[in-house]
Amino acid sequence: MIFRAVEDGDLIRQAARGGVEAFNLLVSRWEKRVYNYLLRLTANREDALDLTQDVFLKAYQNLRKLDDAARFAPWLYRIAHNEAYSMFRKRRPETNLEDAPQESAEDGIAVAGRSVFPIELSLSVTAALNRLSPEQREAVTLKIYQGFKFEEMAEVLGCPVSTVKSRVYSALDLLKAELAPVRRGMS
Amino acid sequence: MSCSPTDLKEYFLSELNLTDSGRVEAHLKSCSTCREELERLQLMQAALGSLREEEIPRRIAFVSDQVFEPSALRRWWGAFWNSSARLGFAAAAMVSGAILFSAFTRPAPVLNAVSPKATQVSAQTFSGAEIDRRIQQAAAVEALKAVAQAESSRLAEIRQLRDDLNKARYSLAVATSEYDMAARRQGIVNVAANGYGFPKSDAPGESK
Repeated sequence: MIFRAVEDGDLIRQAARGGVEAFNLLVSRWEKRVYNYLLRLTANREDALDLTQDVFLKAYQNLRKLDDAARFAPWLYRIAHNEAYSMFRKRRPETNLEDAPQESAEDGIAVAGRSVFPIELSLSVTAALNRLSPEQREAVTLKIYQGFKFEEMAEVLGCPVSTVKSRVYSALDLLKAELAPVRRGMS
Repeated sequence: MSCSPTDLKEYFLSELNLTDSGRVEAHLKSCSTCREELERLQLMQAALGSLREEEIPRRIAFVSDQVFEPSALRRWWGAFWNSSARLGFAAAAMVSGAILFSAFTRPAPVLNAVSPKATQVSAQTFSGAEIDRRIQQAAAVEALKAVAQAESSRLAEIRQLRDDLNKARYSLAVATSEYDMAARRQGIVNVAANGYGFPKSDAPGESK
C-alpha cells in the first residue's frame, strides 16, 4: 500500500467533477485562513463567518472555471475580497471605504522601549492596524499574515503590482513608526 | 551599493532573487543605518505576529444532496460551455454543416458572374437525356470533321502520286522516242556503212 499526501491539485480536480467530499477536504484546509483574512477586513466575527461560507459556496460553483490548480489560493482570496467589498457596498452604498469608522488612536499602547503583556501587545497591534486605510490593512494582511507574493496580491486585489507595492511599503512605514519607533539616543 | 529603503523592504519581505539578496546582505554588513532599519522592520513583524489567527467558530461542510445536485445533462451542458476546446469544435462543426448545406441547396453562382450571355445559359435547365444527346451530337460532328480532314489529306496525296506518275510516263515516252530515233539513226548509219565500207556502230545502251 502506498501512502501519499493528497495535494490541493488532486482535490480541486475531484471537486471540479462534482466530488463533494474532496471539496470538503479542501475547505477544511483553507477555511481558517480565509476566515481570518475576512476577519481582518470586516473586524466582525459573524460577518467573517457568513462571508467565509459564501466564499466556499461560490468557489464550489465556479471551480470548473479555474484553469490552473496552482492558482487556487489567489483565485479563492479574490472571491473572498470581492465578497467582502460587495458586503461593504451593500451596507454603506454612499460611504467611501476610506471613510470607514476606525478606532481612536488613543486606544493603542506604545510597545517600543518597554516590555508589555501579550494582551497589551495585541491591543497595540490591533490599534496600529486600525490606523491604516482599508487598502493598506488588506495589503498587510495578504503580505504579512497570508504570505502572498506581490504578483499574487495583484491578482487578488485586481490592481497593478506597483499599486500593491506602494500600499505595502506605506503601511510598513506607518506600522514601523507605531510598533517599532526610533529610540532616543540611537545613531 | 548605496542605501535603498525599497531594496531593504523587498529583502525583508523575501521578494528579492538570490543575487539581489546577496547584494543587500553585503551592504548590511557595512551600513549600520540599514541594519537598524532592518531590525525595526523585524521588531514590527514580531509585534504583528503577536496577533494570532483565530479558530473558525463553526466548521464549514457541504452535503451532497440529490435534490440540489444538477442533473447529468446540466453537468454536461455546464462543462460544455466551460470548455473552450469543446466550444471550438462545435463552432467548426456548425460552420462545416452550413457550408455543406449551402453547397447542396443553392445553385452555383459562378455562371451568373461571367457575362449576360452566360446568365441566359444558366437560366436554362437541361435534362440528363438532353445533355447526353447534345454530347453525342457534338461528338458526331467532331468525328465527321476528323474523317473529312483525313479524306481530304488522302485525296491530296493521291493527286500528288497521280501527277508524279504522269510525269514519269511522260519522261518514259520521251526516252522511248529518243531511243527509237537513235535506233533509226543507227540503222541508217549501218546501211550506209554496208554500202560504203564504214565501220558499224553499236546500238544505243549496248556495251562492248
